[in-house]
Amino acid sequence: MEDEEEGEPNLHVFKASSSGKDNNNNNNGGQASVQGVKAQAWDPRTMLCNLSFMEQKIHELQGLVHLILGRNGQLQDEQQQLITADLTSIIIQLISTAGSLLPSVNMLSTTAPGSALFPFPREANNLASQTLNNGGASQELEDDAEEGENLPPGSYEIKQLEKEEILAPHTNFCTICGKGFKRDANLRMHMRGHGDQYKTPAALAKPPTKETLPGSDAPMLIKRYSCPFPGCKRNKDHKRFQPLKTILCVKNHYKRTHCDKSFTCSRCHTKKFSVIADLKTHEKHCGQNKWLCSCGTTFSRKDKLFGHIALFQGHTPAIPLEDTKPSAAASSQRGSSGCGNSNNNAAMVSFSLGSAANANQETSQPCVMDGKTSFEESFSPLSFDICNFGGFPRSIFDDSFQMLISSACGCSPINGGVGSVSDTSL
Amino acid sequence: MSHSILSALSEDLLVRVYGFLDPPCRKTWRLVSREFHRVDSLSRTSIRILRVEFLPALLFKHPNLSSLDLSVCPKLDDDVVLRIALDGAVSTSRLKSLNLSRATAVRARGLETLARLCRALERVDVSHCWAFGDREAAALSVAAGLRELKMDKCLSLSDVGLARIVVGCSKLNKISLKWCMEISDLGIDLLCKKCKDLKSLDVSYLKITNESVRSIALLPKLEVLEMVSCPLIDDAGLQYLENGSPSLKEIDVTRCDRVSSSSLISIVKGHPDLQHLKASHCISEISLSFLHNIKALKHLKTLWIDGARVSDSSLLTLSGSCRALTELGVSRCVGVTDIGMMGLARNCSNLKALNLACCGFVTDAAISAVAQSCLNLESLQLESCHLITEKGLQSLGCYSKRLQELDLTDCDGVNDRGLEYISKCSNLLRLKLGLCANISDKGIFHIGSKCSKLLELDLYRCAGFGDDGLAAISRGCKSLNRLILSYCGELTDTGAEKIRQLEHLTHLELRGIKNITGTGLAAIARGCKKLAYLDLKQCENIDDSGFWALAYFSRNLRQINLCNCSVSDTALCMLMSNLSRVQDVDLVHLNRVTVEGFEFALRACCNRLKKLKLLAPLRFLLSSELLEVLHARGCRIRWD
Repeated sequence: MEDEEEGEPNLHVFKASSSGKDNNNNNNGGQASVQGVKAQAWDPRTMLCNLSFMEQKIHELQGLVHLILGRNGQLQDEQQQLITADLTSIIIQLISTAGSLLPSVNMLSTTAPGSALFPFPREANNLASQTLNNGGASQELEDDAEEGENLPPGSYEIKQLEKEEILAPHTNFCTICGKGFKRDANLRMHMRGHGDQYKTPAALAKPPTKETLPGSDAPMLIKRYSCPFPGCKRNKDHKRFQPLKTILCVKNHYKRTHCDKSFTCSRCHTKKFSVIADLKTHEKHCGQNKWLCSCGTTFSRKDKLFGHIALFQGHTPAIPLEDTKPSAAASSQRGSSGCGNSNNNAAMVSFSLGSAANANQETSQPCVMDGKTSFEESFSPLSFDICNFGGFPRSIFDDSFQMLISSACGCSPINGGVGSVSDTSL
Repeated sequence: MSHSILSALSEDLLVRVYGFLDPPCRKTWRLVSREFHRVDSLSRTSIRILRVEFLPALLFKHPNLSSLDLSVCPKLDDDVVLRIALDGAVSTSRLKSLNLSRATAVRARGLETLARLCRALERVDVSHCWAFGDREAAALSVAAGLRELKMDKCLSLSDVGLARIVVGCSKLNKISLKWCMEISDLGIDLLCKKCKDLKSLDVSYLKITNESVRSIALLPKLEVLEMVSCPLIDDAGLQYLENGSPSLKEIDVTRCDRVSSSSLISIVKGHPDLQHLKASHCISEISLSFLHNIKALKHLKTLWIDGARVSDSSLLTLSGSCRALTELGVSRCVGVTDIGMMGLARNCSNLKALNLACCGFVTDAAISAVAQSCLNLESLQLESCHLITEKGLQSLGCYSKRLQELDLTDCDGVNDRGLEYISKCSNLLRLKLGLCANISDKGIFHIGSKCSKLLELDLYRCAGFGDDGLAAISRGCKSLNRLILSYCGELTDTGAEKIRQLEHLTHLELRGIKNITGTGLAAIARGCKKLAYLDLKQCENIDDSGFWALAYFSRNLRQINLCNCSVSDTALCMLMSNLSRVQDVDLVHLNRVTVEGFEFALRACCNRLKKLKLLAPLRFLLSSELLEVLHARGCRIRWD
């Protein structure tokens, strides 16, 4: 176990992942070696080295398992992890070695999601193909500086899931009955039904990821994802490629940008979404978006609307239609009565006269009168005037009223209000 | 005789002659002959409509109008506007300026029609339309060529409406948003982003914060910024202006409580060409550094520092460097004494307006110095300067021949002799003598006999004069259009009889004169045909005969206050129905009017009322139909 140092320098990555204790000193070597693997696509000498390394590894494992057997089969947690890690590294090595022989990536990466309990093979698959692919792609990426995250190309490993994989409702499958699950934890729970061996704490424990593997932290590259849609900015072949951070990001991105929006909001029946979570978020706030732009976009906040308007030429806030109705109705009513619509006029007359008469009859106290004319008589023309809302024909009424006053207080009707129709204001 | 000569003149010549006439003469001009009338009709560019009935005819008659004022036109509503729009004969394509101030019944439909009809529209005034809201703003935004827009006190206008206007009318270079209380930082920010040509902006009384000032500072062409009484803006906000708005000429930060002199200093530093600095009631003291920076403003014309503590020495330094100063406001300034004022008078001989209200230590010596040095003085405010006596007024009378406006309200030292001196200022247009208890008929007589150009006279609570003085005023000041006689207890019907001679009177306040009866009011109504504002509050002895006469003669009455009058049901109904231009009525505490009387009277005028004050209990006694109609017509009711 202790004598792996004699391996080739370009194999340090595997050494690091395999050795449990002495890993801290080759932090820098890890990255370099991976790039080394990338760079040389097919080299018989490297392959030979790799094979001999794997052979050595298998021997080591054999020794370890023998040791365990000697202790009456008691498997320590630590030992189990060690074995798993070694196996992983062997498999990765095997695949990458084999992959270097193949002409294209796609043939490798289309392999179906592998055994559910062991998530590594699939990733390892991708890793191998990506690293292979990146060797060519990295050159054209170099001239474009990375936006957003500012990771230099090559400082991270790129994985690309296929469309079917992204859209698959389940990513974890039971190896026994084939049932699919969204989360591996659910799958482990399910596995308990297939036998006692799946009920051990070890089987139920979360399988260690690369990060949690002891000794694996040193050479770990940052993982980034690429969208399989050609031409997309998130696709690794795009000139200004911006990688996605997690698998979840890939899924959401792919659904949001490259899929139909099949979920419609049950409240407004207009907004559509391709991600259910988005729909649920929207439905929570649907109806609260009272800030509306003339382009049809709605905003829940006024400042967002105003920011939008400031940004786009010609966009204006839309004014909700609710409060038009009363005013429009009122004015149309006025308009028709002014134009002499007989029906409407009659209604207005009855309203003004009727209620006035009622008011008079109801009151017990007599109205104080100074003029000679009776109350009703003197006010009958008034109510006619009211009927002419907004209408011009007032002069008739005016004349009649002038007569009334002149007879009442003896004033001579010299040119009343006709003299000053308009005055100038310059 | 001269008829033949006139007919020999060609139309071109007539038009040229007409161009030299001032508005009152033009009225006479059009009565000369048909030809003259035609010239007037064709040459007239501006008109103010008093009655909506004549609007289409007048528009038809004057095809070259560029300015239309509908602010005092009752019964103007959407239907009228639509009818004009349908009338093809009316040409409005040349109309550039439209005044719709207080036209509360014109709503979105009407405004949109108007905006479409007047394609060349550049100036619109919709101030004091409380119903002017977002929808109306959206309608108005159709007028894309709008340059100037006044929206003071459009209480329903919010940021959304402003955004509509801002996006629709991006060429705006002057906008006033005073008292549009719904406008916030967002609206102002958008305004500043979209209307880069803005030269003048009024955001007074708005609840905007420093963020707005930050946006305003980005306006490249801003020249005038008015932000009176913005309580949320402080020094940090004003600092944005130091390096912003490079062409700023005028700034008004009056009554911005949280603004201190430090931010004003930064503004002054950033704008050495500032001409008008109005900072009344916001700085407490004129500090040395402030003074030092103000000195650098060589072009400063206006400085308002009312309410600050000003020492004589600082006034001297100030006046020593800012010699171009034409307007100075130091009212309520503690520390202003004769020495400072004399120094100011010596240095700033170009002073045209001086506000010394409530500067209690200013005496005759200062006034004499100002009068002798500042020969161009046009406006002088001396309210509550108790130490001023006839001596100061004497020098005013001797030297200030250009004085147009003099405010002596609450000056105990003003007596008949003082008025005699003042009367020598023959160009006086506005004179305020309110609360001067020591003046009698004799002094008023001097004013009446010499100040023939007087337009405005305020005699509020001048209890010492009576009918004879009023007779002198009525005889001499024929052009008077504003007369305040409230609480002049000596006046009787005889005096009122004299008022009728003032044919141009439009504004008359007779509040609390118990000796005036129906006869007096009838006389006034008969004589003053142009009367538009009448305050009869607490004139308890006016009987119905007076109101009947008023109803018959004062057809131009727009606003009337009848509180505490003994008007009867009948008379009130007569008034309200017959006064076809009445728009603003105060009807509180009318003891002889029944609920039915109110109902009838208001029904008679409900389609033209814009503002109404009533006793609160009437809210439940008046019919709901009436109140609905009033509301729909844009009438605002204040329940007392």
